[in-house]
Amino acid sequence: MQIRTKLKFDALVVGGGIAGGEAALNLANNGYKVAIIEKELSIGGKMILLSKVFPTLDCSACITTPKVSEISRHPGITIFTESDVENIEKRGEHNFIAFVKRRPRYVIAEDCTGCQLCEKACPVITKDQFQYNLVGRKAAFIPFSIASPKVAAIDMENCTLCGACEKACPSNCIDFTQEDRFYEIEASTAIIATGFKLYDPANLPRYGGGQYKNVLTSMQMERQLAPTRPFNTILRPGDGKVPDKIAYVLCAGSRDDSAGNPICSQICCMYSIKQAQLLMGALPMADITIYYIDIRAFGKGYDEFYEQAKGMGVKFIKGKIGRISELSNGNLSLRYEDIQSGRIKEAEHDLVVLSVGALANKETPLLFKGIRPDVDKQDFILQGDPILSPAKTTIDGIFVAGTASGPKDIPDSILSAGSAAAEALSYLTR
Amino acid sequence: MTRIDPKFGKKLKRYGAFDYDACYNCGTCTSVCSLAKKDEEFPREMVRYSATGNQDEILSSLKPWLCYYCGECSTNCPRSANPGELMMSLRRWLTARYDWTGISGLLFTSLKATVIALLTVAAGVILFAFFMNFDPEAVMKYGHYFEMAAISGVFAVILLPNLIRMWYFTVIKPGYKVSFKAYFIALKELFIHMFTQKRALGCDDNRKRWFEHFILVIGYLTLLFTTVFLDWFGTDSLYVIVGGYIVSAIVFIVTADFVTGRIKKSKEISRHSRPSDWLFVIWLLLMGLTAFIVRIAIDTDILHDNFWIYLIHLTILAQWALIIVPFGKWTHFIYRSFAIYFSKLTSN
Repeated sequence: MQIRTKLKFDALVVGGGIAGGEAALNLANNGYKVAIIEKELSIGGKMILLSKVFPTLDCSACITTPKVSEISRHPGITIFTESDVENIEKRGEHNFIAFVKRRPRYVIAEDCTGCQLCEKACPVITKDQFQYNLVGRKAAFIPFSIASPKVAAIDMENCTLCGACEKACPSNCIDFTQEDRFYEIEASTAIIATGFKLYDPANLPRYGGGQYKNVLTSMQMERQLAPTRPFNTILRPGDGKVPDKIAYVLCAGSRDDSAGNPICSQICCMYSIKQAQLLMGALPMADITIYYIDIRAFGKGYDEFYEQAKGMGVKFIKGKIGRISELSNGNLSLRYEDIQSGRIKEAEHDLVVLSVGALANKETPLLFKGIRPDVDKQDFILQGDPILSPAKTTIDGIFVAGTASGPKDIPDSILSAGSAAAEALSYLTR
Repeated sequence: MTRIDPKFGKKLKRYGAFDYDACYNCGTCTSVCSLAKKDEEFPREMVRYSATGNQDEILSSLKPWLCYYCGECSTNCPRSANPGELMMSLRRWLTARYDWTGISGLLFTSLKATVIALLTVAAGVILFAFFMNFDPEAVMKYGHYFEMAAISGVFAVILLPNLIRMWYFTVIKPGYKVSFKAYFIALKELFIHMFTQKRALGCDDNRKRWFEHFILVIGYLTLLFTTVFLDWFGTDSLYVIVGGYIVSAIVFIVTADFVTGRIKKSKEISRHSRPSDWLFVIWLLLMGLTAFIVRIAIDTDILHDNFWIYLIHLTILAQWALIIVPFGKWTHFIYRSFAIYFSKLTSN
């Protein structure tokens, strides 16, 4: 029989990314007890994995980590990492019940010092999902160097149960007997901060995404440029060559009916412009070309950021890439119509980055039992009143923060989290 | 000077065009097109001209005829603007513009007019048979004369002037200087494309469609030759009789497959059939079928007592020769091959 631990909080935040974290922090600073449910091994979401942020070019890791530490050390916040919400039910006003399952980490978190000796001892190598499969990792591993909590975990799917980590661990914290733990969490309000999913390039056969070795996603390039990057330079995965003619394909899986996502992802133009600038710093001799339909640089300082990229020598070509074909030397030939001249052109590049779009997390509404929050056409959480109360969902007492309600950049996600926290506060005191 | 005519879209929609205004000019259609090449870019250019209503540019362009509706542009269009179907509609519109009588435009845009035209021709055939006292010998004799007269008449009065108009709009008016020798040299291109539709092979994954179409064209031309010049229904030569059976069966089988394709809407090209498309394939199917039945009736000696069999065939034939050939979809046979010929001339 399952044992379910009963816990009580004022607010429940689903998702421990930057929006969920910010919302939790705002609530906790007001004296409320908050629980964050995070499915990954670390909080910080996608932002903690990014290189730099636009348009200031601040180091993303450097501004996320203090925030993440603040969240993890806050006495009012309890974090459940590696945990899934089984369901959330509204039983009445100020009365929400969430059933949560916490998966085993096979490491006693309190005893782990993050020394990484288990990682050294582990003989199993598998793909590193936090480096977006660019490199490998061990089956006993620390998720990434700035993870929070910085506690090892055993990837049971790939573990051979050889026991090498157990022998190597100086604090005896490896525990293969751990099992799922179940919780019943009562809360007076809930915030949805489940974020977004990246478009899977395998759905774009015309671009050879997931098939051609030297076609990366923008998130893979983000990792190559981050301070916690897998290589110490920029390499193309096919043969390890340092690329010198890089192409960005914008709207790869956004604004495209044929790709199943007709809306603009709002972030791709800007992150591509940012990456182009960073690449010019990392590889001063490289040519960078961005193929676009329209450049949407709408935020504060964004257009100046775009102009800055142009000034640095990033080439911008209006025309969506129609087809990419792989050449025998691993280079890629991009066919497009140059809209300026109306002519068909073929351009050769040695590395192609697909600026993949943002999709809704379709599972989010399914977490709810009984009444579910409504979603929009793209399956993002529907905002009851997108103009005047953007943080309200169609269920009273449940609020939405960050990209769960639609694609957003980081400043907008933080704003949205603040708004969700404020709405939750006024609901709590009502 | 170029004039913008936003109302052109309404006109074009009557020829079957879709929501091409949704286009945001990304160029995906042109760059995925397997037939478009450097200096011969389409369909985005045509989408743009249609959106702005630049009729002069469209009229002087041969590009709509260079498109064989592989459908890749429509499948991959990010805005579901259906450029493939727009190109198809432009071909209908161009056919109407080339036609000096204006009847093509009427038939393409009005189903009512098409039905009236078909009924008028049918009534004419019945009336003709009535004046001949429904005498099989006489009707068949004059029916055969009619075939020859219709072919030469339609060609001289409708098709040839229309072709000259097309030549004027696309070669002379835009001011291309083409030497007499060039006209002669490019003739090879004209005949190759007229009889093989080689260009359609450029469409990816299109071997079967091309082959069927090829067989159909050859079958149709052979059937025409057999019935008109070899007098299939009047001959005693066993070779001609058997040959006629074979080609009419081929025409029937292939068109039956084309009709089912349009019903099933299995390919991009067959997804948006217009009345003119249905008319073309169905009448082609009926021609093969009725010709086959008439010859069977002759060979089994039942035609004399069941003369209506021949009358149906003659009606179908007359409707085909007087409506579909001069004013309908049949003309693409001429315009397509001449478009390739003209574009060869103008590209030098």
